[in-house]
Amino acid sequence: MKNTLFWISAAVLGLALIAPAAMAQDPGKEVLKITLPKPMFVGTPKNIRTANLEMITGKPRGPFMVPVGTVLLSAGKPVAASDKEPVIGEVAFVTDGKKSGEDGYYVELGPMLQWVQIDLGKSQELLAVVAWHYHSQARVYRDVVVQVSDDKDFISGVTTVFNNDHDNTSGLGAGKDREYIETFDGKLFDPKGVKARYIRLTSGGNTSNDMNHYVEVEVYGLPAK
Amino acid sequence: MTNKAFRGLFICAILGALLFRVVRLDVRPMHHDEANQAVKFGDLLERGEYRFDPNDHHGPSLYYLTLPVALVAGQKAFTELSETTLRLVPALFGAGLLLLFLLFAGGLSRETTLAAAALAAVSPAMTTYSRFYIQETLLVFFLAGLIAAGWKYARTRSGWWALAAGLSTGMMYATKETSIILFACLAAALGLVLLMDRLGKRRDGVVREGEAWVWKETRTRPPTAFHVVLFLIAGAVTAVLFYTSFFQNPRGLLDSVRAIGASFNRAGHPGFHAHPWYYYFQTLAYAKTAGGPVWSEAFLLFLAVAGGIAAFGHDAGKDGSPRFVRFVLFFTVVTAAVYSLVPYKTPWNLLPFYLGLVVLAGNGVGLLLRISRFKLVKILILATLIPGFVNLAVQAYRADFTDHSDPANPYVYAQTSLDFLKLVAAVEKIAAAAPEQKDLLIKVIAPPDETWPLPWYLRSFGRVGYWTSAEAAGELGDAAVVVASAANVEKVATALGDRYQQSFYGLRPEVVLCVFTRQGR
Repeated sequence: MKNTLFWISAAVLGLALIAPAAMAQDPGKEVLKITLPKPMFVGTPKNIRTANLEMITGKPRGPFMVPVGTVLLSAGKPVAASDKEPVIGEVAFVTDGKKSGEDGYYVELGPMLQWVQIDLGKSQELLAVVAWHYHSQARVYRDVVVQVSDDKDFISGVTTVFNNDHDNTSGLGAGKDREYIETFDGKLFDPKGVKARYIRLTSGGNTSNDMNHYVEVEVYGLPAK
Repeated sequence: MTNKAFRGLFICAILGALLFRVVRLDVRPMHHDEANQAVKFGDLLERGEYRFDPNDHHGPSLYYLTLPVALVAGQKAFTELSETTLRLVPALFGAGLLLLFLLFAGGLSRETTLAAAALAAVSPAMTTYSRFYIQETLLVFFLAGLIAAGWKYARTRSGWWALAAGLSTGMMYATKETSIILFACLAAALGLVLLMDRLGKRRDGVVREGEAWVWKETRTRPPTAFHVVLFLIAGAVTAVLFYTSFFQNPRGLLDSVRAIGASFNRAGHPGFHAHPWYYYFQTLAYAKTAGGPVWSEAFLLFLAVAGGIAAFGHDAGKDGSPRFVRFVLFFTVVTAAVYSLVPYKTPWNLLPFYLGLVVLAGNGVGLLLRISRFKLVKILILATLIPGFVNLAVQAYRADFTDHSDPANPYVYAQTSLDFLKLVAAVEKIAAAAPEQKDLLIKVIAPPDETWPLPWYLRSFGRVGYWTSAEAAGELGDAAVVVASAANVEKVATALGDRYQQSFYGLRPEVVLCVFTRQGR
């Protein structure tokens, strides 16, 4: 039995070694060269400078079910940010309830990694976080991480709700969530009922520039009794 | 102004023009249109193949004039080409334009020539499009060449200048077939100058201003038939040579005529390039977005208005001719009106009448300096003008070196964003780590208007295919990298599954591309 196995193994190994060499040496054959399609020429593309709420990837977000009694917890709540002096606007814009895509409705934080943090006042059951970074043009914000905690410094008891920083640029751990294109209906993150007082959203620039923007962030949940 | 001072200051203007035009030509990502042109030139460079495309791309002169630059740079293959090599062509013509101003001597005073040269040197519009691998700067160069040669001919009746005018005309046509609009505008301007002459005679019996360009003066006889024929032959031969690809494609000449029809059709049906009649003036006069700086060439426009009004006077300064300035004024007004009335507009199309604005603005400076005979007053006027020149130079610097891809910059139009370079870097990094290196299979699935300038940046990769839909691309899982437009992301993601990492990159404002990278083997 051992001998049989030995000879079968030797034969397979031999064939594996000889076959490619035999194929390469076949004088009647050559590598098939496939010409791939060339790009098509087309004139100057559309120049986009103004606000445009057109969706790109198509489908509107489906209904998101929450328990009866769920309310908006974040309206008018205080906001802190890693950039103490925003380039444009004020951090209070994040929870002011105004979601227009026009200029004057968003806060622009400095380049590279920046965060905003909403203080709900007390720990509450969180059921949805919806963020509008910037929706007057299609762009993708990088390294988006959404975390919640009862610790305002986010040192202990941190729950990561969303993380698409696949290579850990942010240092908050590598995430497996996918990047997404900003649209007017915002991005909904599901905190799955975790209890927390603070919500922190981090990002690291976007596909149009290195800055970080927030038009609005809404946190929904069941108010603490 | 002494000869020495004029020469010194003019050389300074040329050096300034070069500085703004040839330094760091690779700093801006290739625009969609530039990449298109680069690929067309690549075919000419590698295989000597060029066929005029009547549907797009304008005339052939840009490609043929790039050949010597590539030769000097020692670049013989498409993959060896660089942004600097390509953009050096319009950059040199953009700086060379200033030299043509010297041929306006006798029409423009020295002060006017110098001021016009200084304005052209630091003009945000001119410097921006001199660093752009498209035809417009070449067109303006040959337009200035035609005006200069025509002016010289009007004064000398020399056959050589008739020949030069013919060559310039031919080169204009070989650069953009739509230059026939400019020929009509030049003819209209000439007609208006002659009409004013006649009206002037009727009014007071004499044409007061002018030793220069007096048609019935003995020194300047009417054009001879020989000179007219010389002009026509020079223009026709030049156009035939270029459009027939130097007799390799005889059909090209006919195609150039057909292209005029296609261009007029495009002008009438501009699609997303439709802009209001005031678009060009708005672009030049004032632009500002939230948080962004103010962009304005109001200084130049103000001087041009002053210079235009001065054209109706009888004094164009020492050595200047009011008729010549008037001709420039009429050409500028007629061309600006025609271009503004055409719904199809892209910002670089303003350059032909912008040339007129620059000359008129130079005349405006000349006028201000003639207000007083006192040197001190002249110095004070000059001192008040200098901040305006500096402001233009600062804007040119921003437009060329720092804000070259910022949509808030009014000269930016459908520009590739800086983020796109991160996509290129990511693909390069994947190739560097892959055993196939640059032979790894890349599939691009995007409509043509979301594909460019990828073909330029992926030119060194051996196996890149371009499809407009995921279905047409067949099996996707064999590719190491798939680049998909936003509309194709869902389909591609579904087809590839979890084995691919996806990352988004900005191509242009509101246009993103997704790169799917195979994880592991």
